[in-house]
Amino acid sequence: MTVAAGIGYALVALGPSLSLFVSVISRKPFLILTVLSSTLLWLVSLIILSGLWRPFLPLKANVWWPYALLVVTSVCFQEALRFMFWKVYKRLEDVLDSFADRISRPRLFLTDKLLIALAGGLGHGVAHAVFFCLSLLTPAFGPATFYVEKCSKVPFFLVSAIIALAFVTIHTFSMVIAFEGYAKGNKVDQVIVPVIHLAAGMLTLVNFASEGCVVGVPLLYVVASLTLVHCGKMVWQRLLESRNQSSGSQ
Amino acid sequence: MATGLSRLVAIAFTLVLLVSTLPLPVSFAGGEITSIESVPDLQKLMYVAVDGFPCVRLLNLSGEIGCSNPGLNKVVAPIIKLKDVKDLDQPHTILVTADEMEDFFARVSNDLSFASKVGGVLVESGSNFQQKLKGFSPDKKFPQAQFSPYENIEYKWNSAASSIMWKNYNFPVYLLSESGISAVQEILSKKKMKHKTYTSDVAEFNMVMETTKAGTHNSEACLREGTCLPLGGYSVWSSLPPINASSSNNRKPIVLTVASMDSASFFRDKSFGADSPISGLVALLGAVDALSRVDGFSNLKKQLVFLVLTGETWGYLGSRRFLHELDLHSDAVAGLSDSPIETVLEIGSVGKGLSEGINTFFAHKTRVSSVTNMTLDALKIAQDSFASKNIKILSADTANPGIPPSSLMAFMKKNPQTSAVVLEDFDTNFVNKFYHSHLDDLSNINSSSVVAAASIVARTLYILASDSKDTSNSALGSIHINTSFVEELLTCLLACEPGLSCNLVKDYISPTNTCPGNYAGVILGEPSSKPYLGYVGDVSRFLWNFLADKTSVQKGNTTSVCSKGVCSKTNEVCIKAENNKEGTCVVSTTRYVPAYSTRLKYNDGAWTILPQNSSDSMEMVDPVWTESNWDTIRVHVYTVQHSVYDNAVLIVGITVTTLAYIGILVAKSIIAKALKQD
Repeated sequence: MTVAAGIGYALVALGPSLSLFVSVISRKPFLILTVLSSTLLWLVSLIILSGLWRPFLPLKANVWWPYALLVVTSVCFQEALRFMFWKVYKRLEDVLDSFADRISRPRLFLTDKLLIALAGGLGHGVAHAVFFCLSLLTPAFGPATFYVEKCSKVPFFLVSAIIALAFVTIHTFSMVIAFEGYAKGNKVDQVIVPVIHLAAGMLTLVNFASEGCVVGVPLLYVVASLTLVHCGKMVWQRLLESRNQSSGSQ
Repeated sequence: MATGLSRLVAIAFTLVLLVSTLPLPVSFAGGEITSIESVPDLQKLMYVAVDGFPCVRLLNLSGEIGCSNPGLNKVVAPIIKLKDVKDLDQPHTILVTADEMEDFFARVSNDLSFASKVGGVLVESGSNFQQKLKGFSPDKKFPQAQFSPYENIEYKWNSAASSIMWKNYNFPVYLLSESGISAVQEILSKKKMKHKTYTSDVAEFNMVMETTKAGTHNSEACLREGTCLPLGGYSVWSSLPPINASSSNNRKPIVLTVASMDSASFFRDKSFGADSPISGLVALLGAVDALSRVDGFSNLKKQLVFLVLTGETWGYLGSRRFLHELDLHSDAVAGLSDSPIETVLEIGSVGKGLSEGINTFFAHKTRVSSVTNMTLDALKIAQDSFASKNIKILSADTANPGIPPSSLMAFMKKNPQTSAVVLEDFDTNFVNKFYHSHLDDLSNINSSSVVAAASIVARTLYILASDSKDTSNSALGSIHINTSFVEELLTCLLACEPGLSCNLVKDYISPTNTCPGNYAGVILGEPSSKPYLGYVGDVSRFLWNFLADKTSVQKGNTTSVCSKGVCSKTNEVCIKAENNKEGTCVVSTTRYVPAYSTRLKYNDGAWTILPQNSSDSMEMVDPVWTESNWDTIRVHVYTVQHSVYDNAVLIVGITVTTLAYIGILVAKSIIAKALKQD
């Protein structure tokens, strides 16, 4: 492999995030800050999880259930953290709203709120991709490639990049779903996010099976597409509602 | 705090890899890595280090032999088996088995277009090839014929000879070890399993020689530029009983027993030389061990001296330098140079004497004289002194042109009147079919043959030293070889397991390598009779300590401990002083003699070549061998993707990014429209 392939893999994993960042996030400094703080939060969560799991490492490479346990605990922990993230954000939103009231400026628009959620999700997603894929890619810039026995048709780096892309998508849009769910008190949306996260995490365990990646990766993309579609639908609905509200109030 | 955090981050990385997208249950031939826990682990799995033994570049006054990368860069070439080779369009790494080696290198030498398609060579070998092959010797039919004291240099002592190690190859050649073979086979079998058309398995050779870098293509040029070092090492001699160097009277005639300790092969560090010459060395040490248990040597008529030479494969460096030092009366031979050497007994190859239950050895003599007859008689007496009658000593065929290739050639060249006998396991040509090849290992020889040779030598030396022909002498009958000692010594000097880490060797020295290479090596630093021990090879150091111990006289039970490796009395030496422990002072005459070409001189950190001395016939033919310096020699195998695939990945990456960008723009405009529709 060469530099070309290395860049190719990096773009597969993080190219869409880059596009999102350039076209949406970078326009508003507040969103950049949100991305950064969300990335940091995800990083901290990973460090805490590592600390907790430290005594049990390394796990046996051929037994799958400890990994399942690892995924479950990680997902639970990160979902709890997401809720805290939401709480902090909510307090901030209230402060901002009251501040806007005081200086007689409009409150946060719905689109602003959605964009903040999106930026928070992107931060999670990017952190995931950087840790789970980009950190592995350094050897890919050298001359050699690598194939894992249990996924022998596709280079290891390409599989990593493809899976990382799925997770970026899931993380980015599930944050939007979660924030809306919490804001609206919508139980379905509140539950569906951890379920998606857990399902996606568990689907990576399919890779333990011989040639499991042939099944596991497409299934992961099904989950990612479902997340994207659900998020799209929900946002669309919210936009229509808010438009109707604003036109009603006028 | 900072370190704590970085540690946690490191753990996080570990965890990430564990729960990573692909948990990797990997079984690896090397056996070290069972799962990937870090990026360096991944890298080790991608670039599989292949264990083995390189063929390196050696130079002489007229040119080069051996192997090297052709340029200054690594060689990277796809691996192909020799039997699959057909019209190669680019240089390949050719996987050659030991039985194909001879034909392959002959083809390379004769077919230049084929040679240009050889990027590198990996050689697959193992003990099973000893049965498969009728014979394999990369040396010449008459090794070192230029030093022969007789005219008939066309004589075929070595019938299996192919001469391939004396040629120059402009590509790297690497002998795979057992783990190296499984590493290469694993990567090749993976390829078969996947039927991938867009990858190839390559070998990467890092065998850049400094002489290639500097463009110095002979010994004179490379020594001047400092890109090579002369071959050589340290020979060891010891006398039984110790010689009192201070008193010059009572000089007894010397019976010199000689063996060699270096071998050669196509591959630098895989030259066990089990039969030729280590079997002879072990027989000598076995005999010394047996004689050390005999009392009353100081009352015998002659002085026994044991000499173990190194560098004999590369122009008889050890013996020539020893004789040169004798001429100079230097410190290295103090105590020896005043006494006449009456006879020389060399122990050559003695590992393959066993046939149908009888160990047969052949005595090759330098000339007919009363002294050689005396040695032959002593051998006969020794043979008859064994009740079992399973050892036979025969005089070599008189039709032979002369003595076989041995250190005696140097003695003969120096003084044609030398009375000497060399004991060998062959008569008219080598019985060792793997002479100077990597296959001349422990399984090529028979330990009972070595024990038999040691027994004969021990008793013969006693007879020669006592100058008696009395076979019924009880002292003679009491000389017995310790069989288990000989067998242990064989595993120490001829195997990697336990190799030099065996208890016998570790008792005397702390070895730097466990695998005995038995290649002469290069001479480091200034040659001296009291060398810096870090520059002396493991085997030389072991021999020095061992011989000093065995030939020492125990004056009562008062053994004194030596402090800082020095003993207070001049006739004492400090032995067993390695291993971070206090040594013991023993009375012994045991010395190192540097072994290097007599045409070389060391001056202020550099070697210079002295002009030829036309009166010395050996200097006229001395090739002055040197070994090119090199940094590290490494071979890796890995899988590469074809560049088309690499570019496709890049295009896919760009496409995904672009599509996402367009998608986001579309979504933005839709949302903007939706918000404005009122």
